[in-house]
Amino acid sequence: MTDAIVTENLSKQFGQFEALKDLNLTIEPGVCVGYLGPNGAGKTTTIKILTSLLRPTGGNAFLNGIDVVRNPKEALASVGAVVETPQLYPQLTPLEILSYVGQLRGLDSDVIRERSVTVLDEVKMSDSAHKRTKDFSTGMKQRVAIAAAILHDPSILIFDEPTIGLDPRGMIEVRELIMQLKERDFTIFMSSHLLYEVQEVCDKVAIVDKGALLVYDTVANLSNAGEGGVALTAVEPITAEQCAAVQALPNVRSVKRVATSELLITVEGGLPEQSDLLDHVKSIGIRVAFYRPVRSAIEDVYLRLVPQEES
Amino acid sequence: MPPSDLRQVAVVTKYELLKYLRSKRLLIIGALLAIILILNLVLPPTIGSGYDPDPMTFTSGMLAEIGILIVLCATFFGADAIVSEFEQKTGLLLFPNAVKRHVLVLGKFIASAMISVGAVALYYAVTVIAVVAIDGSIAANTSLSFLYALAYVFGILAIAYLFSAIFRSSVYSIVLTFFTFFLILPIIDSLGASIAHFKPWFTLTFASGIVLDILQQPYPVDVVRTVERTFRNTTRTLTVAQYYPSVAQALAVIFVYFIIGLILALYITKRREM
Repeated sequence: MTDAIVTENLSKQFGQFEALKDLNLTIEPGVCVGYLGPNGAGKTTTIKILTSLLRPTGGNAFLNGIDVVRNPKEALASVGAVVETPQLYPQLTPLEILSYVGQLRGLDSDVIRERSVTVLDEVKMSDSAHKRTKDFSTGMKQRVAIAAAILHDPSILIFDEPTIGLDPRGMIEVRELIMQLKERDFTIFMSSHLLYEVQEVCDKVAIVDKGALLVYDTVANLSNAGEGGVALTAVEPITAEQCAAVQALPNVRSVKRVATSELLITVEGGLPEQSDLLDHVKSIGIRVAFYRPVRSAIEDVYLRLVPQEES
Repeated sequence: MPPSDLRQVAVVTKYELLKYLRSKRLLIIGALLAIILILNLVLPPTIGSGYDPDPMTFTSGMLAEIGILIVLCATFFGADAIVSEFEQKTGLLLFPNAVKRHVLVLGKFIASAMISVGAVALYYAVTVIAVVAIDGSIAANTSLSFLYALAYVFGILAIAYLFSAIFRSSVYSIVLTFFTFFLILPIIDSLGASIAHFKPWFTLTFASGIVLDILQQPYPVDVVRTVERTFRNTTRTLTVAQYYPSVAQALAVIFVYFIIGLILALYITKRREM
């Protein structure tokens, strides 16, 4: 089966600034990939090249095996993309915008009508379907843009910071929407600088910095490679013996007492190791009131790979 | 699979027209058109001068502002057609679709041309009706004048699209389009004839003179004469020149502006990054 997204030595230079340096990335069909990196790392540049908004200065980019630079029309035929926060035409309604995009995509008018109702419902914009977009909020515009991206049922979805500029409710709803799309076997390539968002939504993670790919692996593998942090609050004060016993438990890297009944524990590994730790903590007689993650293993990997001044 | 480029051009044209039909700019052009026509038809009887009984002179007078209308159409419907997609980020929605950039430019251009041609046609239609109603007939070459006006629309729109493809700000492209055709080129035309005594056949505004000149019978020819002026016992010889574009040359000039403007606009837009 053809890989969904492939970049081969992809490079982009803006004057003296090298935004992308020989980026090699292969994304197989049906996976959801989070594309992480600090500001200016090259995330948006990669996405803009993949969506034919920028031309690379070197290398190649393929979507479903078709060269984006040489055949953008064919390459983008089965791609839906939301890049940054697109603005909508203020004179048109969401239904008209979807009809415009649908006709450009070659959909029949019956299909456009039917799909427009469906996708606007999915992005919770049905109530505003007939209103001109002039006074829409950023969140509403983002939802219409997502509706336009999924209208033609593409095989690849590309999102550039899909939750940026949204209010907390909007962020949660867009994240849930992406998770629903993921279940429908789309290949999703999503840039973000929100680590928890990527960990929650994606199957794989690519971390890029200074235009170069630092790591590309599954969320599970990266979680195991990193160290997570958990905060534990006990019902009673934790004794020095109990604290020492926690320190001696498997996978525990460090224990810091932050209050008489609260510990901050660094754990090697991911969620399974954190779960095991809770069982062990209970077994040494600590009555746990609260147990919550304070830093994920992916955050740990990210912080180790991306130097402080960058992030 | 996405449809053919030609089909996509039609889709872009359709939605660009819809946007123009709902825009305030169309209302402004409509209001301006109404003001020009009302002034031409209401003012003469109001001030007691009456209408010109000669259809040729009356038609020329009625169409005297056609150049201003065409410049405003190019400014409103062409000068920011491309740059706004980049500046206002609507291109982020449009460009990642399976559509070539030149398809978008051509679709937009056709829509701009259709709306401008509509405004010009309305101006001519009202003029013809008014002249026939008042004088009983129209100037002999009114239809040719209309065709030349349409040629001028295409030429000026192509240059407006070129400015729109080059600049990063709508303000620059709009201001440059308006002042180029309303001020800069007319000044070159005027200074060329009166001071430098050369025929500015190469400017689009000079070439657009055929729109009104064709109404005159016979078609006017260049006049260059020397006159002697005596002032404080000093006699000076002055050259007075009045140039008119030849129809064939003017159409060729308009065509060249149209082709070069549009090709450069297509090329620059294709290369332009977002």
